[in-house]
Amino acid sequence: MGAYNTISFDANKCDGCGDCMTACATAKTGTDDKARSRIQIVGSADDGFELALCRQCGDPKCVTVCPAGALTKDYASGVIDWNGDKCVDCLLCTVGCAYAGIALDEGSGHVAKCDTCDGAPACVPACPHDALTYVTTSRIYNEVGDWEDLFAPGLAGCQGCNTELLMRHTLRRVGPETVLATPPGCVPGMGSVGFNGTTGTKIPVFHPLLTNTAAMLAGIKRQYKRVGREVNALAIAGDGGASDVGFQSLSGAAERNEQILFMVVDNEGYMNTGMQRSSCTPYGAWTSTTPIGVGSGGLPSQGKTQDAKNLPLIMVNHRCEYVATASTAYMEDLYDKLDKAIQASKRGFAYLHVYSPCTTGWRFPTDQNMEVARKAVETNFVMLWEYNRTDGLRFTRPVDDPLPVTEYLRAMGRFRHLSPDQISHIQAKVVENLAFVKQMAQRQSA
Amino acid sequence: MEQTKYLVVGSSHAALEAVTAIRMHDPEGSLTLLTRDPHLPYSPTVLPYVVSGRSAPDGIFLRDEKFFARLGVQFKRGTALKALHPTRNAAELADGSEIAYEKILLATGASPAIPPIPGLDQVAYHVLRTLDDATKLNAAIRSSKQAVVLGAGLVGMHAAENLVKAGAKVTIVEMAKQLTDGYFDAIAAGLIEKAFTDNGATILTGSRVVKLAPSAVGATLTLENGTTLEADLLLVATGVRPNMDYLTDGQVEHDRGILVSDSMQTSVANVWSAGDCAQAKGFFTADKVMNAILPDATEQGRIAGMAMAGDPGLKQYPGGVPLNTYHFFGRHAISVGSSKVPEGGEMVTRFDEASGRYLKAIFSADNRLTGIYGVNEFFDGGVMCQLILRRVDLSAVRERLLANPLAVGRELMSKLWR
Amino acid sequence: MTTAILETPSQTKPAKQKVILCEGNEAAALGVALARPDMVAVYPITPQSSLVEHVAKLIADGRMDADIVDAEGEHSVLSVLQGGALAGARTYTATCGPGLAFMFEPYFRTSGMRLPIVMSIVTRDGITPQSVWGGHQDAMTVREVGWVQVYCETVQEVLDTTIMAFKIAEHHDVMLPVNICLDGNYLSYGTSRVELPNQEDVDAFMGAKDVNWHVALDPLRPMAVDPLTGGSGGKGPATFVRYRKGQCRGMQNSLRVIEEVHAEWAQRFGRSFAPLVEEYRMDGADYAIMTLGSMTGAAKDAIDEAREAGKKVGLIKIKTFSPFPVEALMKALDKVQAVGVVDRSVGFRWNCGPMYQETMGVLYRLGRHVPSMSFIGGLAGADITVGHFHRVIEATEKLLSSPAPIEPVWLNEKD
Repeated sequence: MGAYNTISFDANKCDGCGDCMTACATAKTGTDDKARSRIQIVGSADDGFELALCRQCGDPKCVTVCPAGALTKDYASGVIDWNGDKCVDCLLCTVGCAYAGIALDEGSGHVAKCDTCDGAPACVPACPHDALTYVTTSRIYNEVGDWEDLFAPGLAGCQGCNTELLMRHTLRRVGPETVLATPPGCVPGMGSVGFNGTTGTKIPVFHPLLTNTAAMLAGIKRQYKRVGREVNALAIAGDGGASDVGFQSLSGAAERNEQILFMVVDNEGYMNTGMQRSSCTPYGAWTSTTPIGVGSGGLPSQGKTQDAKNLPLIMVNHRCEYVATASTAYMEDLYDKLDKAIQASKRGFAYLHVYSPCTTGWRFPTDQNMEVARKAVETNFVMLWEYNRTDGLRFTRPVDDPLPVTEYLRAMGRFRHLSPDQISHIQAKVVENLAFVKQMAQRQSA
Repeated sequence: MEQTKYLVVGSSHAALEAVTAIRMHDPEGSLTLLTRDPHLPYSPTVLPYVVSGRSAPDGIFLRDEKFFARLGVQFKRGTALKALHPTRNAAELADGSEIAYEKILLATGASPAIPPIPGLDQVAYHVLRTLDDATKLNAAIRSSKQAVVLGAGLVGMHAAENLVKAGAKVTIVEMAKQLTDGYFDAIAAGLIEKAFTDNGATILTGSRVVKLAPSAVGATLTLENGTTLEADLLLVATGVRPNMDYLTDGQVEHDRGILVSDSMQTSVANVWSAGDCAQAKGFFTADKVMNAILPDATEQGRIAGMAMAGDPGLKQYPGGVPLNTYHFFGRHAISVGSSKVPEGGEMVTRFDEASGRYLKAIFSADNRLTGIYGVNEFFDGGVMCQLILRRVDLSAVRERLLANPLAVGRELMSKLWR
Repeated sequence: MTTAILETPSQTKPAKQKVILCEGNEAAALGVALARPDMVAVYPITPQSSLVEHVAKLIADGRMDADIVDAEGEHSVLSVLQGGALAGARTYTATCGPGLAFMFEPYFRTSGMRLPIVMSIVTRDGITPQSVWGGHQDAMTVREVGWVQVYCETVQEVLDTTIMAFKIAEHHDVMLPVNICLDGNYLSYGTSRVELPNQEDVDAFMGAKDVNWHVALDPLRPMAVDPLTGGSGGKGPATFVRYRKGQCRGMQNSLRVIEEVHAEWAQRFGRSFAPLVEEYRMDGADYAIMTLGSMTGAAKDAIDEAREAGKKVGLIKIKTFSPFPVEALMKALDKVQAVGVVDRSVGFRWNCGPMYQETMGVLYRLGRHVPSMSFIGGLAGADITVGHFHRVIEATEKLLSSPAPIEPVWLNEKD
């Protein structure tokens, strides 16, 4: 049994217009009678809106209390199907369901429930406020869940770190015919290459030097190509090794268009070794080598004094087969890009830059990783885009109405000390970066 | 002797839920399902629709052989449990064989209770509890011109409606002062009665049959007041009694049904019971009650299965809440909870004679819902049941809930447990 | 310029070998081609450049079937080859001086991973004072990192040793990277007559390729390569010790393997080279001078002249510098009462030549006092002429009667 797609409701976006109910009634009964809609939005006493809709339960009570066998859970689609030929209109299902997911449709005299319109629910596109979304991430879970997890159980990452998630998903996707390079950093630090003769993965894996990941992988890939074997060469590297000391070999391999998938897990510093600054560390951020203090000469020490290097844009300028940025808060987007990067790496150099918040180094609660990752995108602090030589650069999740960057900054401790001037600098930088990438997007698609 | 880890006796809702619950926790242990019925599992609740012809007899089965094969369940049908020997963990079957079990669930359901009316044993009559009963009755109603139904419970009323629709002249005889006593109150019963009389049925409430005798058409019934009725079809639907004749050695404690704990365990080790044969705690009273309704059977069956398999996720039975739905002549009635007004509590009704919409709600002194009834007033029974079970404080929303139980119930659901 | 050619009488040549005229860098490239590597990574640097140009041309002309990687620097050059070797490739590169310094990080690692990569060092002095000319300072600087290092005397020896280097490196008892050191300028650009082995004979000599049986990055044999090893407690430190001991054992094994491979080479191709230590005119010698690399040709001329003049002097040439051939050198030194050691590089810590420093350790093991002294010459492309060697011989002869000087003699100081 897998996971299923689901209709998701964001009450904060709902204004109670009822368009979803009209759409449902139209689709299912041919009338515009909202009472006959299978999705029911109800006004709340405190001005909000609430939802009654079949949850397509995994352990559906409506099914167990049906005396006629008229309700069945379709384990392929996840939908609970109602069979009108078997139903005896006894209404016991409405008593069994605690969620008002199946109810009497007085217009027909029978019970009615959401059937997700066979996977294309009419209510969702009808919502003018995006309060309803059809969440299809189950596709990822179902596909990926069937594939072998190629990492050992119990990697020793920090609590709340999403890098393990990223590693497991990536390897499942890339598959066992892969050689994996994990240069010194969090990825091997959590045990992927193992310690003292043990291994953390089920595929060939190695510690390159911090400096030569791309070069070593190039050699591996080339030899397999020479002997006619299809083997993926994959790096899961940190931002420090990639943007700083390992940049030369990265750039060289990209220029030679080596057939490598190079993934950078950007946690904006040398987090594995104690949270030192890297060239990907953003302006103003506290790190253990850009600490906060009274400073000297009247200038207080207020975190990093330079802006971050934009490594993915630099990679675009290598005209790689594929370059993309991604975030673990947007797994569908990430997966789409991972697929494209895997394909591109069969032709040449593919570069995937994943923004990955660090609960330990950025100073935020361990349950907030996804939220921080999401806020980074929602404020345009980071941008999700992809590039290939044919289509140029395009935004995959454009944020037209970004939150102020303070929404992001205040989610973590590493920015707590920022002065108003520093915040202004960061906000201005966000605007500038967006304009710059937009310009690239327009130019390259033109 | 045949041996099994789990022996589940019965094949309706409680038994089937138990099988699923056992397999959720123990995918391996040997499991045998034993039923006296010769058919695949079905629900007694669907039988009135087999009688009416709405449900095809072969279309009502809740599980098929493939289901049992997939779950690794040995399904033995057509064999009744004759005697339980709990001291040696053995079940003696009607065919004389024995099965040794580690754990047994008694989900044997109930059978029609036949009233001790003189002459009843001299006449032909129908009951309705099994699929075979239903197919026989289905055949009989087509030729019936004048039928008598004894008992105005839901089974009797369903059958009577079918007979009316088949064209028979139908008389319903009920000892109580109203129809559907114990399910719906007098106003609701009045609405139901009106629907029946409007369709040509005769309702004799507060009446008792004192004598029966064979006659040319079938049977002659004599009522307490001396009136006689001729019946070419007689249906006895005066209630049910639990099937527990197999409790022969006196060890398993039983009262009106088999007495069970909050995890459906009987007084004897390794023996559980659930469904219509079990007598468990009521939600509104500490006393053990018979709550022979379908939703409770599934709940009890699931709890019993989890307990038998040792599933640590087991939550104790909260006590039975009466839940009934009834569909009659295109109308519907729903009852959730108790009809008793608790001390200091209040009953509120709303009745629109023109539309026939009727709502009754009962609140405790501290503004918890304890019962809600509706005729032609649809609300989500499952939501109301949760309001009762969760003892939700409704002080702030009581009036709104009464005005629109459907929408306000959904609002509360969405806020409280969605 | 002194270009020594070793004229070896032919013994049992299996087939007629083609004779060509070429420089040492081209000879090395031809040797590489004959050894049939799968992968060559290159980055140019003087005086190595013409070597990799020759390799590139051989590949471009279809005379060599290898994947050539024009990497963006020596660090990546060696890293690419590590990857290739882990995937089963026979690999080759060449570098020198600053290039060797830049690749030090992967260089250090190659021997630890026991990758049989072959790399020529076209030796160059420097790095500062800036120098693009010959000298052994680059190769000597990395002598403690676990590579096998052999020094060639002639262009023919460069060609032959380049081929032998693969066989030595890939021997299962060795599994270590090998440097073939050829003197920048003298051997790299020195042109001489060379006999070119036939490909099929070299193929027969090389045998089957099997370079990653012990460590591989191969989905068919998944393993973690180079996990963190060590720490205090647990099995870490002991595991680390086993690794290191294994490396040292491989180095020691290579002494035997180098001898075996040279013997087989002589048998198959009719050219024999002293594998570890060459003794030249040591019969009846009272004292000896020691040399390394291409300077040996001029030194041998000087020895011949000194012998004709009645001096009882012989010559000991080191071919295999790492591992240091302690036993073979002891056998040679046991014949003399004094020794003068000529280095083409500097050992900063002892204020002498590095080979002299190593030799002192061997002399200690002899168990008797043998006076010795250090000569440093040929730095940054300077010639060490026959005349210089006569000075060396005279100074060494004095050790038989006078105390040995502590200071080294800087041969080219007053040139």
